[in-house]
Amino acid sequence: MAENRVFDIAVSPHVGSSQNTRRIMWDVVIALTPALIAAFWFFGPRAIMLVAASVGAAVLTEWLCLKFMKRPVNFAFDGSAVVTGLLLAYNVPAGVPWWLPVVGSAFAIAVAKQAFGGLGHNIVNPALLGRAFLVASFPVLMTAGWIAPMQWKDGERIDVQACGVPTAHLMESGELDALSGATPLNALKQTFSWEGEPERSEEVRAMLFSKESIKNLFMGRIGGCIGETSVIMLFLGAIYLILRGVLELRLPLSYLGSVALFGWLFGGQGWFDGNPLFHLLAGGVILGGFFMVTDMVTTPVTKKGRIIFGIGAGLLTMVIRRWGGYPEGCSYSILLMNLGTPLIDRYTKPLSFGEVKKNG
Amino acid sequence: MSKVKSFAGGTHPPGNKGLSSGAAIVRLPAPGVVTVPLCQHLGAPSKPVVKPGDEVKKGSVIGEQNGFISLPTHSPVNGKVLRVENAPMPHMRSGPAVVIKTESEDGGEVYEPIANWENADIPAIINRVKEAGVCGMGGASFPTYVKLSPPKGVKIDTLIINGVECEPYLTADHRLMLERTDDLITGMKILARVLGVSDPCIGIEVNKPDAIELLEKKGVRVVRLKVQYPQGAEKQLIYAAVGREVPAGGLPLNVGVVVQNVGTCVAVADAVCKGMPSLRRITTVSGLGVNSPGNFEVCVGTPVSDLIAAAGGYSGDVERLISGGPMMGMAMFTDAAPVTKGTSGILAMSPEEVRDVEEGPCIHCGKCVDVCPLNLVPCAIATASEFAMWEDAEKAGALNCMACGTCSYVCPAGRYLVHYIKRAQNEVRALIRAREA
Repeated sequence: MAENRVFDIAVSPHVGSSQNTRRIMWDVVIALTPALIAAFWFFGPRAIMLVAASVGAAVLTEWLCLKFMKRPVNFAFDGSAVVTGLLLAYNVPAGVPWWLPVVGSAFAIAVAKQAFGGLGHNIVNPALLGRAFLVASFPVLMTAGWIAPMQWKDGERIDVQACGVPTAHLMESGELDALSGATPLNALKQTFSWEGEPERSEEVRAMLFSKESIKNLFMGRIGGCIGETSVIMLFLGAIYLILRGVLELRLPLSYLGSVALFGWLFGGQGWFDGNPLFHLLAGGVILGGFFMVTDMVTTPVTKKGRIIFGIGAGLLTMVIRRWGGYPEGCSYSILLMNLGTPLIDRYTKPLSFGEVKKNG
Repeated sequence: MSKVKSFAGGTHPPGNKGLSSGAAIVRLPAPGVVTVPLCQHLGAPSKPVVKPGDEVKKGSVIGEQNGFISLPTHSPVNGKVLRVENAPMPHMRSGPAVVIKTESEDGGEVYEPIANWENADIPAIINRVKEAGVCGMGGASFPTYVKLSPPKGVKIDTLIINGVECEPYLTADHRLMLERTDDLITGMKILARVLGVSDPCIGIEVNKPDAIELLEKKGVRVVRLKVQYPQGAEKQLIYAAVGREVPAGGLPLNVGVVVQNVGTCVAVADAVCKGMPSLRRITTVSGLGVNSPGNFEVCVGTPVSDLIAAAGGYSGDVERLISGGPMMGMAMFTDAAPVTKGTSGILAMSPEEVRDVEEGPCIHCGKCVDVCPLNLVPCAIATASEFAMWEDAEKAGALNCMACGTCSYVCPAGRYLVHYIKRAQNEVRALIRAREA
């Protein structure tokens, strides 16, 4: 009899899909690239410089943390730090100094991610916590660093009209001095405070909700954070992720649907007079909806849980926009819901196959 | 044409069935020495009744039934017992076996055929299935006669024959449906009569159109099933075919259903109509690690190395040798292990076929939740298991898992989810035993 061969053994299954964590992360990086191109177009080379600084700081911080904790440093190159760095930079205004995203990224990686155990163990989205840290620590820079789109190219100081933001009204109220290019959400927030002047606020809102304004929002020709303005480019990235099987649609659809619904419900001055399209396209909702609400690590794993998460984040976004202290509520809403993720998962555990519900 | 049915969840591993689906079944003669395991069926191993030096006839009992969930074991050849010993097994490290030196394969002792099974006493048929040592040929090897003897008060109204063969690579059931069609239909009719079922059906995935066509032409009711892993899992098959949900922790008979594999039907037909005990089986040898993949009919007890030789030998680097399919099959440490009644396939996998991914942390992507055919949260059970939180694992439904491997297959972090969950199952069972004691 021939000599018998021996083999290594392993647990089943012996085959697996080609999907892996590294591939998912780099797919997200690829999907975020179109928005980077838009950022360059609208905000100039400065935007690229900030993004590069942020990504570099994120990867370096990750590497240092892993080195310090004596963990395998190749985790620093799995793409997840790059995603965090990108998202953080996308969430700051283009007019901030270069060190701001660097500080933010370092905080995001070191505190929000590595301090909790690294990839897969962080409780909240690192990029968003990094941004919250920046807003709390450098409020003026983070809320006044707006650059008007195309300013770098046209050389004009402000091209506010193109943003659909009514310059004259802001001039009158004296707000414009503080802004080098207001965002549409800023303008909307102002109108809520003009209680005594219903006509004026009505007129401004009509302009914000106009077709021209919506078109600018869609293309990204508005003031805003680096990566959030160009809806069309973010859509391109989202389509790529869907084609690659990375994006599960329950989270983004429930979030966007909820923003649209509550935006219509109370996104204007009264009830039922908000413009859902405006609320979807303005601010960070599209960026958040496709790239941050969908962060796998910090969102529920159950199907029902993902829908609850999306609806909750959408509701909080609109509550902050309408009544909160900030013009935009996207990032805080996601952070708040992140904290609820374990609870949501716990209470939405599905009935397993053949299991009977116990007393309803 | 009937509608294509399916279940919720699941995934689509590449089938790779083309490697062997065109190869007709080749009957291999018994090897010079057979190592017949006494633990081929689920339950208690048979008790050896021979000793070294004994002459045995083909079909004679070498191990007797040892309890309710147990079966007798027969010699597949005429020959002389060399040893009764513990030998390496395809599905476990080692188990009791009778090693026999083959003299011939002719004649032998067989049972009296029950030619008039259409009118014969039903208990006599069930007894024949038992004494012939027939067990489920799909992989789990559950003694068939037990499934044919439902407890009093349980009414069986549906018999589903499992011709799904959803495991990638495997084509033995497919070839059997094409080449042993008449025996299959006879076996199906015998089982239906025993169970008192009037209209049995056979579930087949639509990737086997030739088998579907052939069986329909012969008047068999075929349920077309979507190509989706694990379509052939008992509970999923029942759900897809008749829309009934087997209770968690329950059996198909709880919803009035019995499922039998196509190979089991043929074994039943052989036992009843020809009086032939379960001595041989049809198995697939495939994978890029063998030169000419094919389907073979072999004696139980044939060493896997002989099967590999029949398939042209190893083609080069073999990363893993598997008994069964790549999703649920067991990795074997040696090709000296013998074929058993439950060996649905032998796969020699080349390094490029085997998944090679470094295990990373769970990133909570929820893909395992999306695909779990049993609607569990595999990542939660696995995490509880990793941290030895057995009560949490129990609450998360660890015991409901059937280890189909769909979650591990899709996991981007390459986590050994099945491993963690199986570990948890052992610990939870121990926990329950301790609680009851």
